[in-house]
Amino acid sequence: MYDAPHTERDVDQQDIKISARKVQVYYGTTHAIKDVDCDIEDKTVTAFIGPSGCGKSTFLRCLNRMNDTIDVCRVEGDISIDGEDIYDKRVDPVQLRAKVGMVFQKPNPFPKSIYDNIAYGPRIHGLAKNKADLDEIVEKSLRRGAIWDEVKDRLDAPGTGLSGGQQQRLCIARAVATEPEVLLMDEPCSALDPIATSQVEELIDELRQDYSVVIVTHSMQQAARVSQKTAFFHLGNLVEFGDTGKIFTNPVDSRTESYITGRIG
Amino acid sequence: MPVIWLIVIVLALAVAGFILGRTRAMQSAGGDRRHLHSLPTYYGSNVALKAAVPAILLMVVWLVAQPFYVNSVVSGMIPDSAVADGSSRGLVLAEVRRAADGLDNAVALGAISEEFARNARADFTDVTTRLKEAGQIVTTQITQPVLRAAQKYRVMNATGNMIMSGVVILIALLGIFWGLRETNKDFRARNVVEKSVLALLIAAASIAVLTTVGIVLSLIFNTIEFFRLYPASEFFGSLTWSPSFGGGSELGVLPLLWGTFYISLVALIVAVPIGLFAAVYLSEYASKPVRSFAKPMLEVLAGIPTIVYGLFALLTIGPMLLSAFGPDGTGWMSGQRAVVTAGLAMGIMLIPFVSSLSDDIINAVPQAMRDGSYGLGATKSETIKQVILPAALPGIVGAVLLATSRAIGETMIVVLGAGAAARLSLNPFEAMTTVTAKIVSQLTGDSDFASPEALVAFALGMTLFIMTLGLNVFALYIVRKYREQYD
Amino acid sequence: MTDASMDTPQPRRAKTSLMTEDARTKKRNASEKRFQAYGIAAIATGLFFLVVLAFSIVRSGLPAFTTTVVDVNFTLTQAQFDEAEGQLFKTKAYSGYFITALQQKLEAENVQVAFDEAAIERIMGKIGGTLREYYTANPDQLDEEVAFKLNAASRVDGYFKGRVQRETLQDSRFLTLADLDLVDALAEAGIVHTTFNWGFITGADSGVDNPGGAGIGASVVGSFFMMLVVLFLSLPIGVAASIYLEEFAPQNRWTDIIEVNISNLAAVPSIVFGILGLAVFIQFMHLPQSAPLVGGLVLTLMTLPTIIISTRASLKAVPPSIRDAALGVGASKMQSVFHHVLPLAMPGILTGTIIGLAQALGETAPLLLIGMVGFVARGYPDGLIGGFTDPNSAMPAQIYTWAARADQAFYEKAWGGIIILLIFLLTMNIIAIILRRRFERRW
Repeated sequence: MYDAPHTERDVDQQDIKISARKVQVYYGTTHAIKDVDCDIEDKTVTAFIGPSGCGKSTFLRCLNRMNDTIDVCRVEGDISIDGEDIYDKRVDPVQLRAKVGMVFQKPNPFPKSIYDNIAYGPRIHGLAKNKADLDEIVEKSLRRGAIWDEVKDRLDAPGTGLSGGQQQRLCIARAVATEPEVLLMDEPCSALDPIATSQVEELIDELRQDYSVVIVTHSMQQAARVSQKTAFFHLGNLVEFGDTGKIFTNPVDSRTESYITGRIG
Repeated sequence: MPVIWLIVIVLALAVAGFILGRTRAMQSAGGDRRHLHSLPTYYGSNVALKAAVPAILLMVVWLVAQPFYVNSVVSGMIPDSAVADGSSRGLVLAEVRRAADGLDNAVALGAISEEFARNARADFTDVTTRLKEAGQIVTTQITQPVLRAAQKYRVMNATGNMIMSGVVILIALLGIFWGLRETNKDFRARNVVEKSVLALLIAAASIAVLTTVGIVLSLIFNTIEFFRLYPASEFFGSLTWSPSFGGGSELGVLPLLWGTFYISLVALIVAVPIGLFAAVYLSEYASKPVRSFAKPMLEVLAGIPTIVYGLFALLTIGPMLLSAFGPDGTGWMSGQRAVVTAGLAMGIMLIPFVSSLSDDIINAVPQAMRDGSYGLGATKSETIKQVILPAALPGIVGAVLLATSRAIGETMIVVLGAGAAARLSLNPFEAMTTVTAKIVSQLTGDSDFASPEALVAFALGMTLFIMTLGLNVFALYIVRKYREQYD
Repeated sequence: MTDASMDTPQPRRAKTSLMTEDARTKKRNASEKRFQAYGIAAIATGLFFLVVLAFSIVRSGLPAFTTTVVDVNFTLTQAQFDEAEGQLFKTKAYSGYFITALQQKLEAENVQVAFDEAAIERIMGKIGGTLREYYTANPDQLDEEVAFKLNAASRVDGYFKGRVQRETLQDSRFLTLADLDLVDALAEAGIVHTTFNWGFITGADSGVDNPGGAGIGASVVGSFFMMLVVLFLSLPIGVAASIYLEEFAPQNRWTDIIEVNISNLAAVPSIVFGILGLAVFIQFMHLPQSAPLVGGLVLTLMTLPTIIISTRASLKAVPPSIRDAALGVGASKMQSVFHHVLPLAMPGILTGTIIGLAQALGETAPLLLIGMVGFVARGYPDGLIGGFTDPNSAMPAQIYTWAARADQAFYEKAWGGIIILLIFLLTMNIIAIILRRRFERRW
């Protein structure tokens, strides 16, 4: 059952993209993340699994400092990308987030046209030289998002008018358009139907060629299907981290075993 | 008998009915309340309601209807010859009422006897002087037809009030009787009482509609009356506003509309940027302590009565502007009352209005939008300018329209700050006047309500009402559509 | 990537270190700072206006609470009285005695200043007449020392408050530069001084030529009776209407009409309500003009939408589980509302009502149309019923009347009136806040 569909699993050792050491996160007085150490590899899909409230989304949001927008949230420890501490005082979170893109649980297209949704990132980061260049970026990103064929005739239509699955692929395309190096996905399929989910999963697998992808998911099957590495979070602790195949077939920690066999969660 | 005593009597009867009804219900159940269909108080309430409600309703209707009847009878008593040229029957009737009031008061003071008030003849005794001696305000010399009409008016009103008191008390007693008769232990008192209470609730809710109907009717009738005396084409087409109570006025609404529009524009130019930026800062940037201090402080501005802003415009802003732009400064301004004076004060008044509406609207933009934008590496200001404000635009437009409607309908600031002269000019440092200011000036003072110079105020009111209503309906529609989008 | 296909293009963004801010980010951050500065500037401007407003009110309004008086101890002997009464110009004789007494007093204090009768009259009014009136009415006070407290003329009052200045004073029949020397001398001797002006708080409006005597007391009473009418009509009607709309109204056209009506009425300009009051209550029903009763009726109609909107919000805040619980033990719908929902919503309703009342208290425009202008408030109404029906004014209308008068001395009264009005409004709002804090319930 836990056999991944991609039998030719790419488990070659890749460069380490993100490394986290002794990360602690507090929400006011609540200790949400406890002492997490974790290395995320380049050109790999890493899945964070665990029961709800275990801190997997919180940890994900630390990776591009989205937690900065929450007043009561406090992060301690070291997280570095390519060896640079992202919580260093000199780091501008705006520059960081251009490097580490994010896709959210609920599709959140802006109330603008499809074209403007994609063009938003390139525009604010000044990636396009001229209009033709921008058109090219938009088309390429929509193709990367595997949604080009569905929307190419109505780029001026509002992005909010698409179906849920299309909206989520639009959001992925939007994130890709800024050419990030890491793509964070916070339960990207939880609001989608099964067909849309499989489309998005295929897309994630393709994205692995160019990006380091981190995905938080509720569904163990999804983690098994799309990821090469899996991290299991429980009550704010990183319980186990390793190759997906190993975690699902031969977990070391008893808590992991209980979770994947459905005894807790 | 003063109406207030009649009300007290009816209420006393209702209380008595309550006690009687309750007792009777208990008796019919043999003193055991468990045998009753409803709680004993419901039986009492049933009787009390039946005593008070019809009686008080009748009284209200009577009080409204009686003056009509009396007026028409008294009006019939005045021969056409008694209506002087240039006057009207309405004016003579007003005089009759004044005389009658004067007689009433004089009798109450003991200055004249009831006998005298009823039978005095203006041809033989100098009633006017005697009334004046008694401290009553009587404007003209009371003539015999007026005095006779006034005496008739008094008598009819007195009789009418007496009959009303009798009938109302009778109805209340009948109500008690009716309520008591149906009281027995199987009577479903609670259902009946609850139905009546529901009817009262509906009546209360309908008052809002009645108010609107009242506004519309009082505007329409007087406006029609005005257009009968003064051509509508002149009112809407003329570029001059120069009322003179001697007749020969020119009453063009355009200069007033221009003044209204211009002052509102200045106010919005002040209020919208400040209000909007304040709202954006408060909802997106401000830390909690800053927000909890600055927001209520700004809202204090909204709680200040407009008369304060009027005085502020006239006595603080006006002189300040005058020292900068007046003869001693750039020389653009000649007096402290000007479009900018009123506009600035009005703008200050509208800042909290714009900011709190925009604040609500900005907060209604889902957090997911912000996250999406931050996640792409946008700065806060980019997110606000390119995602939040466009998303909130319909709502903000609605808020600005509501503020415009406020500005157009504002009275005290323009009455004190804008000036009295109607002018069609582009210079914002000149005094101009508005629709609302002219409504006040045409309706205060002792003018004859039948003259076009007074009636024009109703046409102005109608114009104002239609403009603000249109803006409000449109704005509320936009805001509601906007809310639905994110619900 | 060596094989640059369509899907794997050259990266557009150069790989940069996070530790250095590139040029574009610098520019963007600068624009961010600018934008934030606009926000701060907007708030600062708003607060600046508030401060200026508060400062104007306090600075211009406080003088209304003080007045300048002349304190003189003066003795008139029986002989002087008889002599004065025997003369042709009696009041002139009285002022003669007074001036002599004053001169002696100043000499005793070692103050050197010359003055004549006209100057005295310009400073403290027709003193001879005042004295004669007093002694004719109180002959037993003859030969006794009497402490007279006389109101100084309005311009002298203005001199003490800075409204009238030496540099700009033009000699006129009201006041000359020489008089100011006398005033200074008298002030030095402690004869002229300023004191708290009770008359302003308790008095009624005065004529246009007597700004010193104008008081706001009568209008406060007018406002009070109006607020009584508003409270006793708008609270029950507003609550009843809200209960119907929130708890009983079926979804139909009539309900829709009522709802749309209420939200639109809340935005109708107040002056339109004044027109309504004039046409319906005064022209049509012939209710007395300028009566607080009519003012209260107009303000009730104006406040109702506000009260209904806030009452509905507090009813809505009561969770449905409370209703279900009451219905579950067999209460009727009406009982569940009146026994459970309404008491729970009451603090919110009262808060909304107080805020609505505060709004009504500050409203001016409709009152002007129904004749409640300031100069009507010439005295206190007699009795409780008179309070509702006697012509009177209200605080804001009184303030307007003063502001519209030509004599600038009234401006001070207008600002002073605003201080009193704002004290009332502040008190009401504080009560509302306390109510909310005290009884606020979060479900």
